[in-house]
Amino acid sequence: MTDAHPTAQPTTTPPPADPGVASTPAARGSARRYRQALWLLTVRDLRVRYSTSALGYFWSILDPLVMSAIYWFVFTQVFHRGKVGEEPYIVFLLTALLPWMWFTGGVSDSTRAFIKEAKLIRSTTIPRSIWVARIDASKAIEFLLSIPVLAVFVIATGAHLHWQVVLWPLAIVLQAALVYGLGLIVAPLVVFFRDLERAVKLVLRFLFYASPIIYGTQALPKALHDIAAINPLSGIFGIYRSAFFPGQLDWKEVLASVVVTGIVLVVGVVVFRRSEHRVLKEL
Amino acid sequence: MATTEPVTTASTTTPVISVTDAGIRFKRNRRASRSFKDLFGRGQRRRKADEFWALRNVSFDVRPGEAIGVVGRNGQGKSTLLKLVAQVMLPDEGRVHVGAGVAPLIEITGGFVGDLTVRDNVFLTAGLHGMSRAEIRAAFDEIIAFAEIADFVDTPYKHLSSGMKVRIAFAVISRLDEPVILVDEVLAVGDKKFREKCYRRIDELLAGGRTLFFVSHSDKDLRRFCDRGLYLDGGRLLFDGPIDDALERYNADHGV
Repeated sequence: MTDAHPTAQPTTTPPPADPGVASTPAARGSARRYRQALWLLTVRDLRVRYSTSALGYFWSILDPLVMSAIYWFVFTQVFHRGKVGEEPYIVFLLTALLPWMWFTGGVSDSTRAFIKEAKLIRSTTIPRSIWVARIDASKAIEFLLSIPVLAVFVIATGAHLHWQVVLWPLAIVLQAALVYGLGLIVAPLVVFFRDLERAVKLVLRFLFYASPIIYGTQALPKALHDIAAINPLSGIFGIYRSAFFPGQLDWKEVLASVVVTGIVLVVGVVVFRRSEHRVLKEL
Repeated sequence: MATTEPVTTASTTTPVISVTDAGIRFKRNRRASRSFKDLFGRGQRRRKADEFWALRNVSFDVRPGEAIGVVGRNGQGKSTLLKLVAQVMLPDEGRVHVGAGVAPLIEITGGFVGDLTVRDNVFLTAGLHGMSRAEIRAAFDEIIAFAEIADFVDTPYKHLSSGMKVRIAFAVISRLDEPVILVDEVLAVGDKKFREKCYRRIDELLAGGRTLFFVSHSDKDLRRFCDRGLYLDGGRLLFDGPIDDALERYNADHGV
């Protein structure tokens, strides 16, 4: 990723580049090294969390649980939501809230991806994209670990599992790519524009209501359907939900989600590559 | 511009480090306003008045086994050059190619986490620098013995004294099995006895055929380890040759 500007200079200085050698410093198995570093950093974070907080894992569960309890209470006991969402509503909520926690946690944490780890980034050569990938990975793991909680509610409320559950891996891959792409955009830009950190928080709060979490996209007025499909989370949450509510699956939204995620990922990679060397100078 | 050509001996061995016309610039005023255009623009088209070149037109090759000392006053680009070679910074122009793994003794305590024990930290830092678990396990006792902190292996890192922190960090990084070692002035810390120990370790590594890149203000240390010197001034490579000549030139320019 070294920006090369070989100002044509006819001296003897440029050495004959060793033929056919990918010029990474960690030539010995860079993919292996990437995985190893990712794993080490993830384990480090888990270790730190467990050694410094007694409830550890439960905090990551507690947050969505409390939120769904609140929404469940407000929308089933206080307001009568009519045809919005499906029964059991608590399962309907959790199937989108749990992945939402991954999304919002991943994107908002990536605002601090470089700033928090500045010292380590200044002293190691591991590929810089790892600082974004590891946030995505750790939030994804938290999400996977929260699935048993969903299972408990499914069993308790007697919701039915449908074959669409086999689509979950697709949703997980899509979401991982989306969070990674957004992280690649947000992480380097925050280093230059600190205000972005707060802007991201605000956008995320907006996006919570703009995404099908407390409602399903079917409940939206017809005119808004196409706009909702542009939000890649609509398609992704639709897939998660279809495991229990097959009516929530809309292939058009899924397709839109794939396209938008692809665009985000490409933009992310370009932004990241082009700003990387400037980020390193700022740290 | 007028940089000295690298000593062109018979190039039978490919250089392990090759820096070609490298340059890097910084903002004088870090809080200066930035625009998106500024951020994504490539090349030299956008030159702002508040920028300066910390290094420019620097070219040299290093062959395996060479020990290079970098001389120059403060702020003349020595540490920046080291960071470019360590690849924790990327050049704005030119090319820095390092064809082998690097053990950077720069900001060595950077990767250590206060809440984790010394043991966990050793596995973490060595792992991030590319050692496998098996390799770390094999080297673990030696690392602890070198740092002389056998009694604190299960103590959280944050409870160590600052001297111990540097000792364990040096022990880990200097144990990395990488062909290139970069040493910034980290060795200024620590007591005399430990510094001597660090120097012996560097001697051992050199004897083992490693390539050394050494930044120091101490003539004595430079002469002890290095055979070739790079003299930087104002971000330019003014001299590249035997270390004694480099020091002589430096002392002539900035008489002591």
